[in-house]
Amino acid sequence: MNLTENRTPHFEVLSDDQKETIYNGMIKTLNTTGANVHHEGARELLYSHGCDVDGIRVRIPPQLVLRALASAPPVTEIFCWDGDLRKKILVERGRSYFGPGPTPPNFIDPDTLERRPYLRKDATTVARVCDALPNIGFVQSLGSINDVTGPLADIYEFADMIRNTTTPVMSWSFAREGCRDQHRMAIAMAGGEENFKRRPNYIFYGEPISPLVSDFHAIDKCMYCAEHRVPQVYSPCSIGGGTVPATHAGQLVVALSESMVGVVVAQLLNPGTSIIIGGVQSILDMRHSIYSYGAPELSILSAAMTEMAHYCGLPMYSTSGCTDTKKMDVQSAMEAAFSINAAMMSGADFVHDNGYTESGITGDVFQTVMDDELIGMARIIENGVEVTEETMAVDVICNGGPGGHYLHEDHTMKWFKTDWTPTLMERGSYEDWVAEGKTSMKDWILAKTRDLIANHEGPREKVPEEADEALEEILKEAEARVAQGAPETKAG
Amino acid sequence: MTMTFDMKEIVNGVIKGKIDEVKALAEQALSEGISPEEISSQGLVVGMDAVGERWKNDEMFMPEVLRSAKAMSSGMDVIRDQLAEKDNQVGTMVIGTVEGDLHDIGKDLAAMMFEGAGYKVVNLGVDQPSEVFIEAVKEHRPQLLGISALLTTTMPRMGDIINELKEAGIREQVTVIIGGAPVTDDFSESIGADIYAPNARSGVERAREFFKKKSAESGSN
Repeated sequence: MNLTENRTPHFEVLSDDQKETIYNGMIKTLNTTGANVHHEGARELLYSHGCDVDGIRVRIPPQLVLRALASAPPVTEIFCWDGDLRKKILVERGRSYFGPGPTPPNFIDPDTLERRPYLRKDATTVARVCDALPNIGFVQSLGSINDVTGPLADIYEFADMIRNTTTPVMSWSFAREGCRDQHRMAIAMAGGEENFKRRPNYIFYGEPISPLVSDFHAIDKCMYCAEHRVPQVYSPCSIGGGTVPATHAGQLVVALSESMVGVVVAQLLNPGTSIIIGGVQSILDMRHSIYSYGAPELSILSAAMTEMAHYCGLPMYSTSGCTDTKKMDVQSAMEAAFSINAAMMSGADFVHDNGYTESGITGDVFQTVMDDELIGMARIIENGVEVTEETMAVDVICNGGPGGHYLHEDHTMKWFKTDWTPTLMERGSYEDWVAEGKTSMKDWILAKTRDLIANHEGPREKVPEEADEALEEILKEAEARVAQGAPETKAG
Repeated sequence: MTMTFDMKEIVNGVIKGKIDEVKALAEQALSEGISPEEISSQGLVVGMDAVGERWKNDEMFMPEVLRSAKAMSSGMDVIRDQLAEKDNQVGTMVIGTVEGDLHDIGKDLAAMMFEGAGYKVVNLGVDQPSEVFIEAVKEHRPQLLGISALLTTTMPRMGDIINELKEAGIREQVTVIIGGAPVTDDFSESIGADIYAPNARSGVERAREFFKKKSAESGSN
């Protein structure tokens, strides 16, 4: 008897008809209006495969989209550089991986709790804290480093992060140079190019500009990743009512079209290379003119976009655990809990921005630690109810009969640990709470985070010497390149 | 001559964001002999002040405010050339996004808000090199130069433009206002900008305060 089929509860917000209609809207948009692609090489590639190219405008015919979707892999594996398979990411339906987000300019100082510019040391802090969090499946830095040679902030961040966590890192870069340097670093960490090809150990994140613009660097980096089979995300931040229509369906059409340009380019260059779509899908707050990271619309749009990505056979890069507040408070917890649960229930593959505050302007690792707890709770819902003869336990029930209890039963011993164990949520007695100084959630989050910062060392000492040297050498070369004023990749 | 024109129509047209209607009303008012100064001060400005008030009180939202700003601007276009220099207090703004940056929504929002405040706005677009900003300042002699950047990598270009204004000897001619999500007060100060606008709503207000303070200072000298 097999009663375990489809036991993972997910909600659905779009019907099959609606998905098909939105998909067709994307096909029509790309075919009749297309997108601006600020990259001559990409335009030539698209033209040679039948796209209509008019200046920087590229119109993509339906059959090219279909071909790209047919060759994009629905399943991808991302490995930990140290070979530990427990943290391996297996991108396939029914598994959701949560992580922080990239590039806010500011960070909440772990000591003072004040907002300040993001510093190099913060990348290590975030990597180490995330390394210890069981519900964080991939790591982004929560910032853009302000205190190193400006154009090299991306590679310093990557070099520090990958050496301080075995949880797979999701990186970003300004331009192709940074993208290439990170790739070289990842190869060094993997112990060689062949090893990296077999076991890619990071994911690259790139972003087109909404509405319907792929700027030079975005598509250039996308092409680099495709050429070298670096798994990548290519997804916009679409702003409902701002860069895209104020209606959710309209937003989905544009957002899908924006990502699809990267999918088509990547698959034309290297069929079968891994690419993930989605992005931040939320609304412009029309009172304060901010891009809201706490709005419930973020959750419904992200859930719908997840369904559209899966309809296209692509993995989804979704959003949760973020807030519009400036400091940890009740609102930040409310917004995070809401979006985390929605993202989990939507079945998104990657879910980022856990730890974003101030509408994406400030990274906060305390928020990430709180989110880790919430993700653990949401996972209990996602686990659903396992129904087998063993779990129904009719024999145990009949043996026990009316009255009594199950506390000492073998069956209880075997199963009670599958319940979720809080690391932050307080369930003690009133007396204990008073005796322990009437502390609150904020105190526990601060204590847990600071304990991890002080005591969780991460894998820094395990990094092989030759890999460590290789990373330092790549940083040195990059410094020399910048010092010589070598021209960065020029837009065209 | 009997005055049949009701200025309230212009006020309401601005509040309701009726772009074509406000333009037609301004033309009608002119043809009925109402002075451009009056059309501005009793009509367009009154309407936009009411919009500002309603926005503050959450009775209007940004898209509506922008429509009103467009309506205000369509009326201003009719009368601008005929306004006496002294009444055309706000003047011209040049605005653009720096080289290497293709983000335009924040810059366009600000442009519309300044149009709504009565400015003639010259929008240079996105991805514009410093020279274009400098040439535009020389050509249009604006009171305000708005510079926008969304990327931490392109932010420094805002400082470059200010330096080039200095080199060209025209820094003192123009007030520089900057904006963009990663920009902060500290950054604004560090590159020597005059005003930092954290969002579309505050830009016009901060510019107004800046000019008020400046004219008070020059008055006391």
